[in-house]
Amino acid sequence: MTDIARNRLLSARAATSRWVPSSQGIVTAAILIFCGGLVAYPLVYLVAESLNVSGEDVFPPAEMGLGNYTDLIDDWHVLANTAFVACLATVMAIVIGFLAAWTLTRTKLPGRAQLERLMELPYYMTPLVGALAWSILAAPRTGFVNQLWHGMGGGGDLVNIYSPFGIAWVMALFEGTVAFVMISAAMKSMDPALEESARVMGAGKWRTMLTVTLPLVMPGVLGATVFVFAEMLGSFAAAFVLGLPARYVVITTAIWQAVQSYPPDYPRASALGIALFAVMFATLSLYRLMVRRGNFATITGKAFRPRTMAMGRLAWVLFAACIAYVVVAVVLPLITLLLTSFQRFATVIMSQSEFTLANYQTALGFGAVRAALTNSLVLGVGVATVGVGVMTVLVWIIYRSRAPGHGLVEYVVMFPQAVPRMVFGLALLWAWLNIPIPIYGTLWLLALAYFTVLLPLGVRTLAGVVLQIDKSLEECARVCGASWLYQLRTVTIPLLRPGIVAAWLLVFIASVRELGVSIFLVGPNAKVIAPSIVSSWLSSSSELSAALALIQTAAVFIAVIVLFRATRRFSQEQG
Amino acid sequence: MSDARIEITNLIVRYGDVVAVDGVSLTVEQGEHVTLLGPSGCGKTTTLRAIAGLEEPSGGTIRIAGATVYSAAEGRNVPAEKRGISMVFQSYAVWPHMSVFDNVAYGLRVRNQSRADITHEVERALELVQMRDFATRSAALLSGGQQQRVALARAIAFSPRVLLFDEPLSNLDAKLRAEMRVELRDLQRRLGVTSVYVTHDQEEALAISDRVVVMHVGGIEQIGTPQDIYNRPKTRFVADFVGSANLIAGRIRSGASRPGLVAFDAEGGITLGSWATHPPSGNEDRVAVRTAYIDIAGGTPSSAPNGRANSIGGTIRQRLFHGDFIQYIVDSAVGQLTVRRPPTELFDEGAAVTASFAPEHCVLLEG
Repeated sequence: MTDIARNRLLSARAATSRWVPSSQGIVTAAILIFCGGLVAYPLVYLVAESLNVSGEDVFPPAEMGLGNYTDLIDDWHVLANTAFVACLATVMAIVIGFLAAWTLTRTKLPGRAQLERLMELPYYMTPLVGALAWSILAAPRTGFVNQLWHGMGGGGDLVNIYSPFGIAWVMALFEGTVAFVMISAAMKSMDPALEESARVMGAGKWRTMLTVTLPLVMPGVLGATVFVFAEMLGSFAAAFVLGLPARYVVITTAIWQAVQSYPPDYPRASALGIALFAVMFATLSLYRLMVRRGNFATITGKAFRPRTMAMGRLAWVLFAACIAYVVVAVVLPLITLLLTSFQRFATVIMSQSEFTLANYQTALGFGAVRAALTNSLVLGVGVATVGVGVMTVLVWIIYRSRAPGHGLVEYVVMFPQAVPRMVFGLALLWAWLNIPIPIYGTLWLLALAYFTVLLPLGVRTLAGVVLQIDKSLEECARVCGASWLYQLRTVTIPLLRPGIVAAWLLVFIASVRELGVSIFLVGPNAKVIAPSIVSSWLSSSSELSAALALIQTAAVFIAVIVLFRATRRFSQEQG
Repeated sequence: MSDARIEITNLIVRYGDVVAVDGVSLTVEQGEHVTLLGPSGCGKTTTLRAIAGLEEPSGGTIRIAGATVYSAAEGRNVPAEKRGISMVFQSYAVWPHMSVFDNVAYGLRVRNQSRADITHEVERALELVQMRDFATRSAALLSGGQQQRVALARAIAFSPRVLLFDEPLSNLDAKLRAEMRVELRDLQRRLGVTSVYVTHDQEEALAISDRVVVMHVGGIEQIGTPQDIYNRPKTRFVADFVGSANLIAGRIRSGASRPGLVAFDAEGGITLGSWATHPPSGNEDRVAVRTAYIDIAGGTPSSAPNGRANSIGGTIRQRLFHGDFIQYIVDSAVGQLTVRRPPTELFDEGAAVTASFAPEHCVLLEG
């Protein structure tokens, strides 16, 4: 025993005295410091600013206090509005998601696989594009629906999208597909034998559903509910386009107003942001807790082929509902934007319309707008290329290396997910205004910001693939005599290729449509497309906005098609 | 091939608070094939991975071919790629994105061999595992047995000094496993390479090893040749885990102090002649008898027992026909005895029988 004790002592001493910098150690340390700084640094500024009661915008604040937070009580209607819209939209999104998931996983319908792909499309429409389209469709007086109603001799307005219900409606259309994907994953991962044994024991179809199926799927549904609710809290575009005309303000739009006011009220914006972040963080923590605890043993991560049942005529009703969802969330908005973008003045009454290419000429020919388009594409390609490279090494460190503290790294990297985009944009704005490195107002800052907020997306995508790669495939390379870098080059990265392609495209898509962070960081010489759509909307040119929105959507859809093609090819290669 | 001994001294591996390997010392001679045998969680794989450099120990030393590759005292831990070893993994770890040829050539390419040498060595290795016709095939398209062969070819292609095997046969079906055992033993003898093999399958361990190391909860229970381990188990764990044995409770008769024939007072008032492999301490309370070493004959034991054999009367309680053997459960004065006989010796359930076994097969276990 004394020998063992001495050995332990010696090994403890050895561990401290031996520090030979290896390529792995250096790369690890560099990436960790870089990413940790990018995430943590702006938030420190944001917290400090939210405590600033000195009335001057300096860092660190001359006087600190909780005044900005107590002032939030006067904004109670903003908080109430936020909660109301988020709840309403969550309920609608979950209903859409649950019905669609049920229909597509559990009933016998022709073309289910294709329909499932279609159901994912609304996700690639941004809430901004959806809100623009629905505003053109259903605004009071000028909206297409109301134009037709007036044309048919109706009085007043048939629909009014500039209302809390309108905001919730557009957000639910967008988030419905998120709910669908999450709930159908829960349904697919349930072992059909669990239901079959209930049937064998003598329970009927409905009894089985009530006593076995629903309780088992419930954690998945609850998880989706909480997750969607958190997303709703932080969403900006729909509330911005549809809420402000009706003076209906939620937290995110209140932050925007505080920053846009003259002089900008950064302390108030920061306090609002921190409050929103706190609620969202609590909600997401609840989600994580539920996912970890509520999954029972049924959800093994293994995909089963769910048992389908013949639902008779009801199935066709559900089928029609799914199609209707895709039409309302994707097809109708796109047609509306297409029609509008080719008109001088948006109208649905054809006899009055004047068709023109002027909007596209402005978008593609005019200096500022074209610069925004080019910048967005350059940023998308650049951030995706460099970012995914860094993320690949990062993912490897988190899930493969035994370096101390890699659990903490995962936490840091996933952190931006819990921060609403708007709030992170505000934090970045404030932090980089106060730093001597002159990149504020340049594309470099946007690139850094995109990289930071898209870290969770890229890392999650890559992690899914890394975790599927058997560890011994890499260990074998080492045993055969390969160094770490040689092993990464010859074994890890080739095996990760499908994940890398998917992550690249997802990061590209997310960059091109980014709004929440960009809106605070664009400058006269660094414009990008989503904020440009917003400003053309604010200067009340819905026609030019429509053209821009369509161009952005086209870029995204081209990337999506490449993504689908690529993933299908890889899955064929592997199979 | 130089003198590739492996010397492990007082190896300790810890995961947090759990000590997976607790003070293992072991020497594997040049060209020897040693198997680490034990149930899951006994530390055998961890020991192997520590030799490979895939697991960082927290104490002890490991020397390969005279060079220290790990030493807690010197703070030295040579990374896996610099140890000049090779390994066959449980999951085969055949890279699906490469052809069979590229898989096998990997270690040679890392070592910057010439193109001609690589081709030559790869062909030689593939020839050895009878996979020469598959060189251009994509590794993703191979069956389990073929992947196993490719993994083996890859491991030997660059002529390593030491070969490590981590349960390489456990994913194969029973028939293929038996075939591969024969081939592995043959290959190991032909190459004369020092090898350490890990398995939880005692039959496999006995069949293919020069020496077997039985491990249990992070430590070594017994080291010996397969016959040694089978015929002379030192502890209750070894007797139980390797092969099948009857454990008979009782007490060693006081006075015995030398190895050899000793008297053991079993429960039920029966005295058994038994064999001590070590000087008895006097605290021994169990003997082990292999189920295959017990004879049974009809009728009760005669008053004059023949020669030195132990004879115990009993009744057959259960008979299980296994094909290659029949297993009887016999109720006797010393308790239940499990006996395996050839299928030619048939007794009915309920029959009165005499079970007999030689004192050399009645092994005194350490107390």
